[in-house]
Order: sequence, then structure tokens, then C-alpha cells
Amino acid sequence: MIHFLEIANRMLFHYYLACNLAYLVMLIIALKTSAEHQHGLRSSPAGWLKDTPLAPPVTILTPAHNEEKSIRVSVRNLLDLDYPELEVIVINDGSTDGTLRELQEEFQLRPVRVVYVPQVPCARVRKFYRSRVDPRLLVVDKNSAGSKADAVNAGLNAATSPYVCVVDADSVLERDALLRIMLPVLTDPKRVVCVGGIVRVLNGSETAAGRLRRVRLPRKGIEVIQVVEYLRAFLIGREAWARANMMTIISGAFGLFRTDIVRSVGGYRAAAIGEDFDLVVRMHRYLLEKKADYHIQFVPDPVCWTEVPSDLHSLGRQRARWQKGLLDALWRSRDMLFRRRYGRIGCFALPYAWLFELASPVIELGGFVTIGLAIWAGVLSREFFLQFLVFGYAFATVISIGAVLQEELTYKRYNDWQDVVRLLSYCFFEHFPYRQMHMVWRLQGMVQYFRGDLAWNAPKRQGLRTTAAP
Amino acid sequence: MATALARFSGWGTAGLLVKAIVAAVIADALLLGFILLRRAYRNRYFAERDARVFEFRRNWKALISGQIPYGTWRTNHVARQIVEDMALDAYEAAGPEESLRLLNFLRASGLVAKRIFEARNHRGWRRRQALVLLGRTRASEGIPALGEGLRDKDQETRLAALRGLGRMASPQAGQEILHWVGESGVRVPALPLQSALIQCCAERPGLLLPYIRHGDKAVREIIGRVLGEIATPAMGEDLLEFAGDDLDELRAAVARALSHARSDLELETLGELARDAVWFVRLRAVVSLGKLQAPSAIPFLLRGLTDSNRLVRLRAAEALMNFQTEMTAVFRQAIALQDLYGLHAYLTALENAGLEKQLEAELESARWTDKEEAEKLLNVLHTRKLPVELPGLAQHAPLRTAARP
Repeated sequence: MIHFLEIANRMLFHYYLACNLAYLVMLIIALKTSAEHQHGLRSSPAGWLKDTPLAPPVTILTPAHNEEKSIRVSVRNLLDLDYPELEVIVINDGSTDGTLRELQEEFQLRPVRVVYVPQVPCARVRKFYRSRVDPRLLVVDKNSAGSKADAVNAGLNAATSPYVCVVDADSVLERDALLRIMLPVLTDPKRVVCVGGIVRVLNGSETAAGRLRRVRLPRKGIEVIQVVEYLRAFLIGREAWARANMMTIISGAFGLFRTDIVRSVGGYRAAAIGEDFDLVVRMHRYLLEKKADYHIQFVPDPVCWTEVPSDLHSLGRQRARWQKGLLDALWRSRDMLFRRRYGRIGCFALPYAWLFELASPVIELGGFVTIGLAIWAGVLSREFFLQFLVFGYAFATVISIGAVLQEELTYKRYNDWQDVVRLLSYCFFEHFPYRQMHMVWRLQGMVQYFRGDLAWNAPKRQGLRTTAAP
Repeated sequence: MATALARFSGWGTAGLLVKAIVAAVIADALLLGFILLRRAYRNRYFAERDARVFEFRRNWKALISGQIPYGTWRTNHVARQIVEDMALDAYEAAGPEESLRLLNFLRASGLVAKRIFEARNHRGWRRRQALVLLGRTRASEGIPALGEGLRDKDQETRLAALRGLGRMASPQAGQEILHWVGESGVRVPALPLQSALIQCCAERPGLLLPYIRHGDKAVREIIGRVLGEIATPAMGEDLLEFAGDDLDELRAAVARALSHARSDLELETLGELARDAVWFVRLRAVVSLGKLQAPSAIPFLLRGLTDSNRLVRLRAAEALMNFQTEMTAVFRQAIALQDLYGLHAYLTALENAGLEKQLEAELESARWTDKEEAEKLLNVLHTRKLPVELPGLAQHAPLRTAARP
């Protein structure tokens, strides 16, 4: 028993060391990549693309389910994006409120027939509408199948452009978002098959008519912690994975895909819980099986702002759903693990996701149990335990502050001194008790998955509206 | 410090942990210190920069006329950068007279020469930045330096040089790009190259022709696409020689370029291209025929309705909506084709253009002259089904296709 506890605690120590070292390596790679990206922007600004008549057309796909409060502003903003060849498809996913009516009033929709090839499966489409005031807008009215993936698939069937950009209806995009996300495609059109955009936290910022006016840090601590999390995930994690062409997730809130490849893999899987992760892994599989030379890119410029849960209950549900989605997608792609055919994805990215993302709440729980047992058996070295705690805390803080540093060195969107000091202070506060709560939510997600509870719990949101700073 | 850490080495794992804690805490402190110091420094820097911008703006006229000696600001890196940024921003929005004055200033102050030097002698991002800024000056003496940038082994540098030349938007810059492409082939992604060529060759698209005639496949494809975008009506006859080219992309480019067709021969060529074996050539030709808006294009567009490709059918149908005065006759001909897919494409385009009611009204009024036929046509319009036969259709006068606009 004592021997087992010693081994377990030692393994736990090495697990945390490996996890933090991996993040440290990613931080270093991300800092280097960001610096290069910043220099690149000086010689290759996105603006030149705005004036070229040869820019490849892009179709924006925006699924909308009961979005009557914000749909006018959202769609107006999408149509106002800077891009020369743009089509916007709003998919009214069986809304039971006045979403369609709002669209009809604002954009003077009229029923039309369009080329619709049901190449990827989705629920029945009822009607198509095109705007009289802006013919670039097409509305697909369909029955709801209860998932965002199904709605996006309907839009994918109706899209006529070589690239589709999936955008959440409640996201706020910067005006040059499409230009920026298209730049990697234009630099290497043969290899780049999809591009992920960074998603930043909207809560607390000032918006007017659906546009971001001033970036501020949210007031609630729970939201600020999520800002730190998003910075760490995007500015460190995704930046580094993309550098190694091993990105396995493109945020559902804002991502650009080559239409033919998404159609070839059958579009989004309607039953998937984490449809964004699931799609990218399937794209990797498809392209690696075809032995294609491809690249999945990431654009770190702040382009998409989204609202995050502002109460513990919603946040818990969201994190449980993310964990379910991760488990679901990883389980379905388990045959890719350690197969030479799937290259770096099968041998590195997916094992990393299994070990350090999926298994981490289980291992953390295991750690708490073994420590508890060690205390009970009287074999725990208090000094070692304390040192381990301090080390874990200090190291994790380095990573979080590193993410803030990355933001400071590159994009610097939080201009207020007060915001920066608060952001830095939350790098120290997020570890207790938030991290432990996070572990519980993720464990709940796994339990729900094994119980077969695969429902998509939409988080509670405020919706787009004009907000002013206090 | 080293002695202190050495004391922990005898502690085994615990010693390692203590070292790690010390390292992590130091890293935390350094990161925090760096962020806060950098913020403070940048705040000061921007305040000073702002004050200088204000000062320069106040004395702008004296500055660009040389009344303020260039030496007072040129030697200071920050001041030079501010003046250059301000001058280039003003240059982009200036009229011809002001542009000339600003260009003279950029030359006389040595800013152009400095950027040429940097574009030739620096490496990495500094060189790329110099290349782009040199392009923004639109000073023709910068073209050779930009040309050297095109021949760099690093793709990012080549792209920066290409953008710089594109910003010049002059035929000389276009010549430099074309010369480089002819010499070393396509060594950058297609879109930036095409964009730069469009900007530079818009005034003289004829510059492209020798490279289409003698370039390799990749070069011809890319330049053909550019030609399709900027060809002028005066180039009609030059384009005809490429209508039978082996390269699909080039035929498609010709089809696109002929949207300005003026002569019967050009229209016939477009009609031929609308029958091409490759679908996207047919599509481009049908779109160009639609842009002509000439009744003589109607027979070709009607034939497009029976195309095997859905997009071609749809574009042909959309183009036919431009002929609202001929709507009944076109509808009758569309039915006479006896192609259900073509008929559906036509009716869809009619519906999308909101012209269904107009056609219905025209057919209603035609009842007075030929009741039987008008009813049959109305029936097709309502049921979207082809009639078994449409008596008297053959006797109707053909569309006014002979007339030229």
C-alpha cells in the first residue's frame, strides 16, 4: 500500500512536471511565432487584399437559433465586413421566436430558388430567401435538428464559394477579420486548407450597434479568469500547435475552411458534441490518408470577440460540454493513435490531447485521492507536499503571466493600467478554487458522456447590445 | 546564489523541487517586472512621440519645403520615422500637384535613397519593410532595388518586393515583374502576383501579350487571368489568337476579356467559347455574353440553357433576364428547346429577378392575339412542366438576333 502510494505520488509529480514543461515549450514557440507574425504584418498588411478583384470569394455561414434580439445587428455587421467577394448565409435553424421575421423586416427578404445540392446530410430545408436590399445575403430556413452542426451543414450545401467561414451569430467580428483570416490562404493557397481565428472575451468591453468600441476587462472575477484562460489557450496553445501544423481544433465561433474539403469529409457531424474539434480531426484524417501536403493555420490577430458565461452554473455546463465533446471526438479517432500513417497527428497531437487534456481531471482527482490516502496512512512528507504545491502554483503562474506577456508584446488590446494589473493578479488567483471546480465540471462531463447524456446545453448569454463602461 | 542552490543538491527530489520553485518564482518576478516596466516605458515613448508628431504637423509646410533643414530630424531614428510615415500617408491621399511636391521632398530629404539602401543591404524583416515602404514612395528609382528583392531566396522578401512594385502601379514596375517572371517562372503565390500585375499593367495591358505568347504553362495561366481582368476593347483582335489555345485557363481568360466584344468576329468567338469542352470556359463565355446585353447574344445564351453544367445553365438564364423587352419571345424559345433542366433554370432566374409577374402580364395581354399559344405558355409558367407539343411555335418569327446594338 505504502509502496503504491509512493509510486502514485511520484507519477503525479512527473505528470505535472511534463504538463508544465510542455506548456513552457509552447510558450517559447508561441513568443517566437508571434514576433515573426508581427514583423510579417509590417511588410504584408491585410489591406492590400481589400482592393484586389481576384480575391477568392468567401461565404460566411451563420447558424441562428432563437436569436431575434441580436440577429439584425449581427447580420448587418457581417455584411459590413471588409472583403471584396462576400456572401453571407444565415441559417435559421428552426427558430421558434421571431428570428426569421426580424430578418425579413430588416433585409426585405423574398423567397428564391438557389442551387442547393444536399451533399452533406442535414435536416429538411423549408425555404430560401434572398435580400432585396443586399443580394449578398441568403437566408436558409430549415427544420431544427437540435445542433449547430446540422445548421452549418445546410449552409454548406448552399454555399457557392471555394471558402466558407463559420461564425457564431452572437460573435462580434472586427471589420478586417476576413481579410486577416484569408491572408494565410492567399500566401499559400495550395496547402492551407483551413485557418482558425483567435477568439477573445467580449464581456466588459464597450460595444455599439454590434461593433466593439473599447476593450475593457470584465468586472466579475469568473469572467477575468476566463480571459486568462482564453489568452493561454489561443496565444500559447494554438499558436504553438499551428506552428508545428498539428492544430486539432478550430474554434466554432470563427474558422475558415476550404469548402470542397469540408464537403469531402461529410461536413460537420450533426451528432457531435464538440463539432469543431471533431471536424478538424476528420479533416486531418482525410488529408493524411490522401497523403496530401496541407497546412492548418492560425491567425493570432484579435478578430473575433465572444461572450463567455458570467455565472458558475453556465460556465460549469459549458466546460462539461467541452469535455464531453473532447471525449467523443478522441474516442472516435482512437484508431489514429500511434499509427505512422497519421504522422504527427497520430503520434503526437492526439496522444497529447488524451494525456494532458482529456485525462487531466481524472489524474488530478487521482492525485487528491492518493494524497488523502497518504495522509491517512501517515506516509506523506509534509515538506515534499508543500514544495510540490508551491512549485505547481509558481510554474502554472509563469505560464499564465507568459500568456499576458504575449498579449502585451503583440496585440496589447487592454490599454488601461487598471485592466493589466487586474489581469496579472488573476494569474495568481485562478488556481484556488477555480481550478478544482474546473476539474469537477470536466469530470461531470465525462460521467454525463458515459451515461449517454449527450444533450447540447446552450449557455445563457446576454446577446449583442450596446454597452457602456461604468 | 550558486552556493545556496548547491546546498539543495544533496536533498534529492526535494532539492530539485526547491530549485524549481526558486526558478519559477524568479521567472514570475521577471515576467511581471518586464510587463510593468515595458508598459511604463511605452507610455512615455508614445507621449513623447505624440508631442513630436504635433510639432511636425505644426511646421509641416516648412518641413517639406526644406525651410527646416533636413539634418535637424533625419539623424534621429524616431523623428525620421514619424516624418516618413506622415509624408507617405499624405502622399497616398494627395492630388497630382501635392504628390509631386511630396515626392520631391522624399527624394531631397534622402528618405527614398535611405530606403533603397536598406532594401539592398538589410536582411529579414527590415529588408521586407524597406521594400514595402519603397513601393509606397512610387519613386521610379526604387524599381531596380525592388527587382533585386524579387530575386531573393526568401519567399516573404519576394512577396514584399512584389507588393512594393504593385504599389508603384506603373508600367515600368509591371515590366520589372514580367521580366522576372519570364526569367525565373512563378516563384510566389498566384494572387499577390496577379494583383501586382493588375495594378501595374492596367494602363498598358499590351505588356502582357509577349509573355502569354512565349511563357511557360504556369506563367501563361497567371498572366491570362490578369489579362482577363484588364483587357480593353481595343485588344479584341489580339485576344482572338488565344481563343483556340490548348490551355483551358487561357481560353477562359479570353472569354472573360471578350466581355467588351465589339465586332461580329469577336461575338462569334465568344459563341464558340460558349461551346467549349471545358465547363468553366463555357461559364466565362456565357457570363461575358450576358454582360454584352446585345440581342445578338440571345441564341448563344439560349443554347447555354441546355448546357450539361448546372452553373452554366443558371448563368445563361440569369443573363437572359437582361432582355426584358424580348421576354415572351425568349420564354417561347426556352420552351422550344424541350430541355426541362433549361426550363427550370430559366424559371428560377425569372423568379429570382422578380420578373414572373411581368411575364405573366405579358402573356395575359398576348391572349388577345393568339389565345391558344398564350394559354399554353401560361400553363408552362404555372406548372413548370414542358408541354407535349406547342403548336405554331415553329412559325413564329425568330428573335431579333441579326441587329447589332
